[in-house]
Amino acid sequence: MSTEKTEALVIRLADWSESSKVVTLFSSDFGKLAAVAKGAKRLKSAFESALDLLTICNIVLIRKSSGGLDILTEAKLQKRFTARHGSLESLYAGYYLAELLDSLTELDDPHPDLYSEALKSLDRFAGDGPLELAVLRWELVLLEEIGQLPMLEGCADCGRPVAPDIWFDFSVGHGGLICPDCHPEADHARHIQPGTLAILNQLLTGQEAAWQRLVVSAPQQRELRRIMTPTICHVLGKRPKMMGYLKFMNP
Amino acid sequence: MNAYGSTVNELIDQFAKLPGIGKKSAERIAYHFLRCSREEAFALADAIRQVKLKIHACPNCFNLTEDKLCQICADPRRDPRILCVVEQPRDLLALEAAGAFQGMYHVLQGRIAPLEGIGPEQLTIDQLVNRIKRDQVRELIMATNPTLEGDGTSLYISNVLEGTGVKITRLARGIASGSVLEFANKEMLADAMRGRQSF
Ligand SMILES: [Zn+2]
Ligand SMILES: [Zn+2]
Repeated sequence: MSTEKTEALVIRLADWSESSKVVTLFSSDFGKLAAVAKGAKRLKSAFESALDLLTICNIVLIRKSSGGLDILTEAKLQKRFTARHGSLESLYAGYYLAELLDSLTELDDPHPDLYSEALKSLDRFAGDGPLELAVLRWELVLLEEIGQLPMLEGCADCGRPVAPDIWFDFSVGHGGLICPDCHPEADHARHIQPGTLAILNQLLTGQEAAWQRLVVSAPQQRELRRIMTPTICHVLGKRPKMMGYLKFMNP
Repeated sequence: MNAYGSTVNELIDQFAKLPGIGKKSAERIAYHFLRCSREEAFALADAIRQVKLKIHACPNCFNLTEDKLCQICADPRRDPRILCVVEQPRDLLALEAAGAFQGMYHVLQGRIAPLEGIGPEQLTIDQLVNRIKRDQVRELIMATNPTLEGDGTSLYISNVLEGTGVKITRLARGIASGSVLEFANKEMLADAMRGRQSF
């Protein structure tokens, strides 16, 4: 047992007893944590209503070495997630971020870069830039961080790099893009436009100021989701609950 | 480890499932029933049975009641054109105890919590919309818990009602965000009810 301090994002809350909760947090220093917060449902608790979904808190906790639940002893609110005014999609994007963090990261597996990306993503979801791109950026960075990013720079089978004159197909089963030489039978209508791949590349490696200005056409948005939606479902082993709530994910 | 025999253990297990009751307390309560009179024990068993047989959701507002309509819906002095929307019957009781409201209620029977698999269709939102049309409701006071999901539920309802002309307000934030309505004190609840504002 040791007492630790860290900063963390609340990604799940469950009732534990009449007055206590089990809180799942994604922390900057320890990755995902599960801790009991005793008395959390009372107004005058040590948590002062800091424990709500998607709040960022400074926490103190007693870590259990035996694999049991940690005990949260303090949580000070730093910031609350506030969705765009009147926008359920912005709120649901926040829930989606929590869902992916909870299902795709392991307990005690620190990802400090992913933590800061999660906070930036929540700011983008709450801000006024394009929500679809902010969500896509979050998905890409998360997949890269957990080593599950599909091959997007070239053919997943032969390694042939993406080129403007070749139209690649995308296959989750093959682990990424596939070139027409490797799969001549692929349906040409399903090919991904080079411009769509450029958007993905820009989102993953480009400057934020640059990709925030990207203008994505409706067909490009469909293609982006045709790549990312099945990839996320594949990595998760099921369809995320929030996908049904986010209309732009199902174009 | 079977000091009491399976019949008594079953009773202890049942008590241990109750909120706030641990294994030790469950054993103490079970021991009490082993010693008390048959009449006393059966009175409790019967009271539990009667509650489950008689109490049901009010068909109008989904508050709990043992009559056809709940006391509030049956009260002719209450204004049916102002509805206060709450998550649970417990929240309604807390607001009633504050005594600052003369309209009627609508109990959603929960909140929209997609991550827990609770969608709007599992709540009484359709019934609320029908009620608003039927009773020509002019004001809806959102009194869902001031949490992300509680606020999200109110936002969903206000989106559904867009264009109906009904005025939508919500409780003032005398209550800290992220807490639970049930545990707020009377003064805070009364303040919040008085200081409600447009959604
Ligand atoms: Zn190839
Ligand atoms: Zn009623």
